[in-house]
Amino acid sequence: MSETEVNYARAFEELQAIVTEIELGQITVDILSEKVKRAAELIAICKTKLSSTEEDVNKILKELEE
Amino acid sequence: MSASKKTFTLLQLTQSIRRAVEASFDGRYWIIAEMNKLNLYPKSGHAYPELVEKQDGVIVAEMRANLWKNDYERINQNFIQAIQEPLKDGIKVLMNVSVGFDSKYGISLTIHEIDASYTLGDLEQEKQNSILALKKQGLFDLNRKKSLPLLPQRIAIISVANSKGYQDFTHVLDENAWKYKFFHMLFPSLLQGDKAVADLTLQLNRIRKVAHHFDAVVIVRGGGGDIGLACYNNVNLCKVIAEFPLPVLTGIGHRINESVADMVAFKNLITPTDLGNFFIQQFHNFSLPVQRAQERLADKSMRQLTETKTKLHANVLLFRSVVETLLVRNSSKIETLRVGLRTQTFQRMSSEKGTVQKLSAALAKDARTLLTAERVSVSKLKEELKNRTFVRLSKDEMAVNGLENSVRLLDPRNVLKRGFSITLVNGKAITDESEVITGEELTTLLYNGTIKSIKE
Repeated sequence: MSETEVNYARAFEELQAIVTEIELGQITVDILSEKVKRAAELIAICKTKLSSTEEDVNKILKELEE
Repeated sequence: MSASKKTFTLLQLTQSIRRAVEASFDGRYWIIAEMNKLNLYPKSGHAYPELVEKQDGVIVAEMRANLWKNDYERINQNFIQAIQEPLKDGIKVLMNVSVGFDSKYGISLTIHEIDASYTLGDLEQEKQNSILALKKQGLFDLNRKKSLPLLPQRIAIISVANSKGYQDFTHVLDENAWKYKFFHMLFPSLLQGDKAVADLTLQLNRIRKVAHHFDAVVIVRGGGGDIGLACYNNVNLCKVIAEFPLPVLTGIGHRINESVADMVAFKNLITPTDLGNFFIQQFHNFSLPVQRAQERLADKSMRQLTETKTKLHANVLLFRSVVETLLVRNSSKIETLRVGLRTQTFQRMSSEKGTVQKLSAALAKDARTLLTAERVSVSKLKEELKNRTFVRLSKDEMAVNGLENSVRLLDPRNVLKRGFSITLVNGKAITDESEVITGEELTTLLYNGTIKSIKE
């Protein structure tokens, strides 16, 4: 599992946790903006992963020749 | 060479053998054999199968056979219809044969019919053997126990570049409406027929080498007809799939029997399109909660803010009402105090005013008395000053008159009048003779006139 793999999987997990917290009303208005900000970051990580990949065919072909 | 010996030509002998054979084997026989090689000659359309029988892997009988073009085509068609496999190398067949002998080619069998159902059973048996072998080695469920990452994004595809299966699969991935991004790479391989086993194994081994670049392997096939798929029951190929380090997903596209490869694969879907949609679904499973999280966060936090605002507003209203009550109560107190303060101030002011008026009258009176007294005193002093000055002036006048007389007596003219004279040298009075140089001019002043003289 690559590093970005771990990152987006963790981001997904953390995001779910925040949503649960908010849904259960465990978050006060004082930390609400902080949590929403963090959630926005996590959503961005997840969405980026959905729409991009870093793999390169040439790199793989090179490794196949080795 | 002895002339007595009876000799035959080769042809005579072979013709004799032929008669004997045809006499002994004059019917048709159902025999079971393995078709080791089909030996089809595409040009003539005839096949010359190599038939063998093995015991414990060793060939114990072998014969050549003829399968003439018309029979071959008919039988092959039957096979394809009945078991989705063509006549091919390495299958066990039950066939109807006649025995023949040719002077040139020797003894051979001519195949007139092949029973496809026997071969089907045999292939099924082979398939069952593969399943059994994999289960025995504990490999059967191995690939299915692997897990796909949350987003199976990097896919190694085993297929044929211009095949419909490959195009269908990549179309689903690349043209999805949600802009999900996949990375896929083709590892080209034959997908059906006996040679496919070696080719598929080769490509799987290539992918294994770069497995860290991929999340899953798919084998997709479609558009090539459903013939020659028995390769997917091959125990060796299935073993490679089962033991593969990545999940292997199949979309081999046949509708009859699930192959062993499909059984051991992580996931099997009939068509490449279905398989592509499976990957899209994995992305949905990730994307939807993220989307929902976004909406719920917005909704919930908005609601929480609104609730807090409402509470705050209620408090503001309460506060205002309490404050207003207090203000009304206190302002009436203040009004009472204000009126009291005003009254007291007026009273005090008029009392102070009386005092001031009294003081002012007294002050005026006192000032007048004092002024009169001072005026009297000043005029007294004025009179006295006048008197004193007058006395002083008389005294001084007398003293001045005395001095005037003395000064008059001392005037040189009065002395000259009495006969004295004054001698001047250069305008200066002299009192000593030595002051005058001989020959110097002297001027003598008399009471009346002057005399000039020269010293001798």
